[in-house]
Formats: sequence, C-alpha cells, structure tokens
Amino acid sequence: MISIDRLSKSFETARGTSHRALNSISLDVADGEFVSVLGPSGCGKSTLLYIVGGFVGPSEGAVRVKGAAVTGPGPDRGPVFQEFALFPWKTVLGNVMYGLIEQGVAKAAAEKRALSLIELVHLKGYENFYPKELSGGMKQRVAIARTLAYGPSILLMDEPFGALDAHTRTGMQHELLEIWERDRKTVLFVTHSVEEAVFLSDRVVVLTRSPGQIKDILRIDLPRPRRRAELLVDRRYQQYVVDIEKLMDNPAS
Amino acid sequence: MKNLSAIPGLPPLLATVGLLAAWEIAARVIDISGLPPAHEALRELPKILTDKESLLNILDSIRRMVIGFALALAFAIPVGLMMGRSRFVAAFFNPLLMIIYPVPKAALMPIIMLWLGVGDASKTLVIFLGVSLPVIYHSYQGARAVEEKMLWSAAAMGMGARARLLRIVLPAALPEIVVGIRTGLVLALITMVTSEMIARKQGVGDILFNALAMAQYETVYATIVIIGMLGFIIDVGFERLRAHMVAWAEPAHEIAVGST
Repeated sequence: MISIDRLSKSFETARGTSHRALNSISLDVADGEFVSVLGPSGCGKSTLLYIVGGFVGPSEGAVRVKGAAVTGPGPDRGPVFQEFALFPWKTVLGNVMYGLIEQGVAKAAAEKRALSLIELVHLKGYENFYPKELSGGMKQRVAIARTLAYGPSILLMDEPFGALDAHTRTGMQHELLEIWERDRKTVLFVTHSVEEAVFLSDRVVVLTRSPGQIKDILRIDLPRPRRRAELLVDRRYQQYVVDIEKLMDNPAS
Repeated sequence: MKNLSAIPGLPPLLATVGLLAAWEIAARVIDISGLPPAHEALRELPKILTDKESLLNILDSIRRMVIGFALALAFAIPVGLMMGRSRFVAAFFNPLLMIIYPVPKAALMPIIMLWLGVGDASKTLVIFLGVSLPVIYHSYQGARAVEEKMLWSAAAMGMGARARLLRIVLPAALPEIVVGIRTGLVLALITMVTSEMIARKQGVGDILFNALAMAQYETVYATIVIIGMLGFIIDVGFERLRAHMVAWAEPAHEIAVGST
C-alpha cells in the first residue's frame, strides 16, 4: 500500500548550511496496517509523514502509494495534525462537510454523512459550535471526523494527541482504535510516546536521532481489540514498552 | 459612581458635551472672529444639510470616497494575500510599497493633477492610494500568519493552489484584513477632504475652503463637524459589520473573575 524507498530529506538552514533530516528510509506499510513512527524530537519523523502526504517533497528516494508515485497531496491520504488545523470560520458541521463538498458531494448527502461522523466522534449536539468554543480533545475529534469524511484509505496522523492532557489522550487513543476497528484503514502514526505507539500499533518503527534513520522495527504481537486496563497488566505489553525505551535510550545507532 | 460606565453611550455623550462647553467658553473668552462660539457654528449645521448645493457636494465627496475605497480593496486585498503566500510576489511589491508608504498621499496630488486633471480621476486615485497601503499591509500580515497545516488539510481534500488562496487564506486572514480596512476607511475620509482642498472644484473640502475665503467661520467649523460626524458614523457602522463578519475569531468568552 505505502512503499517508502531509500527516502532522504535535507533542508537549507537559515545559516545557509544543509541539514539532513532523514537518511535513507525504506519502509513498506501493508493494507490495513497500523504503523507508528517513534523517535526523539527533531528526528524527522513528522517530515517523513509530510513527504508521504505529498506536502513536502523528498530530496532523494521516492514514496509510492498503491504503486503510484506520490507527487502531491491527495484525498487518498488524509492528514490529522497535532495543531488540529480546523477552519476557524466554519462550524463543526461546516468543517466536517468541507472535504465532501470539495469532492463534489451534494450538500444534503454531505450533511448526512457529516452528521453521522460527528456522532461517531461523540460530538452530537455540537454541530453548530465554532472551533474556538471547543476544548483541545473536541477539536481533535472534529479534525478526525473531517478527515474521515472524505474517505481516505490512508490516515496520516502527526502526533495527533500530543497537545492533549494525559487523561484526554488515553481516551482519544481508545476512540481512535474503536474507529479504526470498524474499517481498518492503513494508518501511519507519528508519536514520541512509547506507550501510545505500543498500545495502538501493529508495528513500531523506531528512528535514530537526527538525521533520522530506521533503528529498528518491532512487531507488536498483542491481541485486538485492545483495552488499556488489560494491557497495562499484560507482561508482553510491559516488555514491549521496556524494550523500546531501552532501544531509544541506547545512543549507539 | 462605578455604574456610570455601565450606561451605554453615556461616556461619549459626556465627552461631546464637555468639548462643546469648552469650545463655547474658549470662544467667549478669546473673542476673535476666527473662533466663533459653538452654538453659532452648530446653528449652521441644518442650513448646510438642507442646502441643495451643499448636499450635492457632500454626496459627490462620498461617491468618490466609495469608488476609491472599493477599487482599493479590490486591488489591495489580492495583492496583500499573494504577498503573504509567495516570497517572490512579496519581494516584488515590497520596495514599491516602502517608497510610497512614507509619502503623504496628498503630496502626490500636484503630479497626479498634471496627469489626470482636477476632476474625479485625480481625487479618486489619491483616495485609492491612501486606502491601499494599510489594506495591503494587513492582508499581507494576515496571509503570512495562516497556518501551513490548514492549507495542507485543504490540499489533501483536493483543493488547488488558487482555490486555497480564495477559500482558505482569505477567510483565515479576514480578522487581520478588516483591521486594515478600518484604518483604510479613516484614510479614505482624510484623503477625500485633502484632495478636494488641493484640487478645488467641488466636494466637502471645497465648501470648507470657500467658506474660509469668504470669512464665513461658522460654516468652516460646521463643515468640520460634519466631516467628523461622517467619520464617526462610518467607523461605528464598520465596527458593527466587522464584529458580525469575524465573530468566529473573537475570544470565546470573557475570563470570569476567580476562574483558573
């Protein structure tokens, strides 16, 4: 489904020097797979996601989605950002409908689908609220509904719960898994939380410090559907978390 | 006492009455023909506002102001937005704006009059220039501050670059743009009057200077009051419109006392 081939990215810095953010990343993500990209801050993990999204171009290498080279953004890859990036002049309903209208869906049909998605993310009753009137967790629910609305086959999630408090965060992780279990979209999920990555993912990709390279890829062999209360006391879950934390602490890459 | 400020309109009313009283007293104390008492100047107001020729002149001024203002918005908002989203466009326009910015627009009137004469075209052009700069500047700042991720979200929905400028950058920058428009409205009024004072043919500025030349000082002051009221009405009207247009961007609620 997603095929990342020897991808590298360098940026021009303000001092005129070149900074290498990503170094020769190769990764294949299968259809319906939930893959997390984990790494220390500044390792280029978000950049990797932006390149897959087509928002940023690679310096070397290529990304293919369903065999076609990525040359720009497209509705087959729906992003969800840490900053929510909602349209503040639109209501909750207007935000969720936006992509559908953009895709040429008739207004009545778009509204119907948007309302069902708003219900899915537990925001029924907030249809006519503006983003400024919502809490961080609610904003991110709107952003997820807005992206799900136009039916992308791939979700690109860039630290989506990074700006939320710990309690909201674990709640959102559960909700995300519930939504994901319904149709098992392919998900590429960037995070710096080891527990979040293990809890959510089929595989966890650990990147090194800058320039980001793949340090290791771990398959998370835990049964689904997953429940936090059960996993926290599960030896295997604990072992994955400890192993990955050790891996990240180890400076030798 | 603390509840006085809660009565809407009371503080500005007190300020107006105070100003008129100070004017009246000053005029009586100084007692020169160049400073008529307030009541005499105000007595001229209904005369001017019922005189057909004066009214036509005032409407003429407003017409030019509206045209110059509208043209300026049509030009300045797209330019400012494009400057905000493209380094090339910004680098192209910036030096031009830097040169025009500090020049008083009325100082360009003599040159413009050489090109376009003393009629509508010159005056409208000066109003256009006066309004354009603040609107360009604020549109530019507004467009620059638009969150990249918001544009990416729209791009992922399949929206092209031109549509994003119109449908994402424009509404997202609107709260900042309207700040520029509000400044532009005041400048439209100022450039309207000054242009008429330089190219005297008709308009409010012409009434003002004719009255001055004929030593009708009451009319001079009354005309200034009319211009001030016009500015006040425009500003209050626009502020209402602005509050309605960008209500979605205002802070959600006042912070209640004692809340954390």
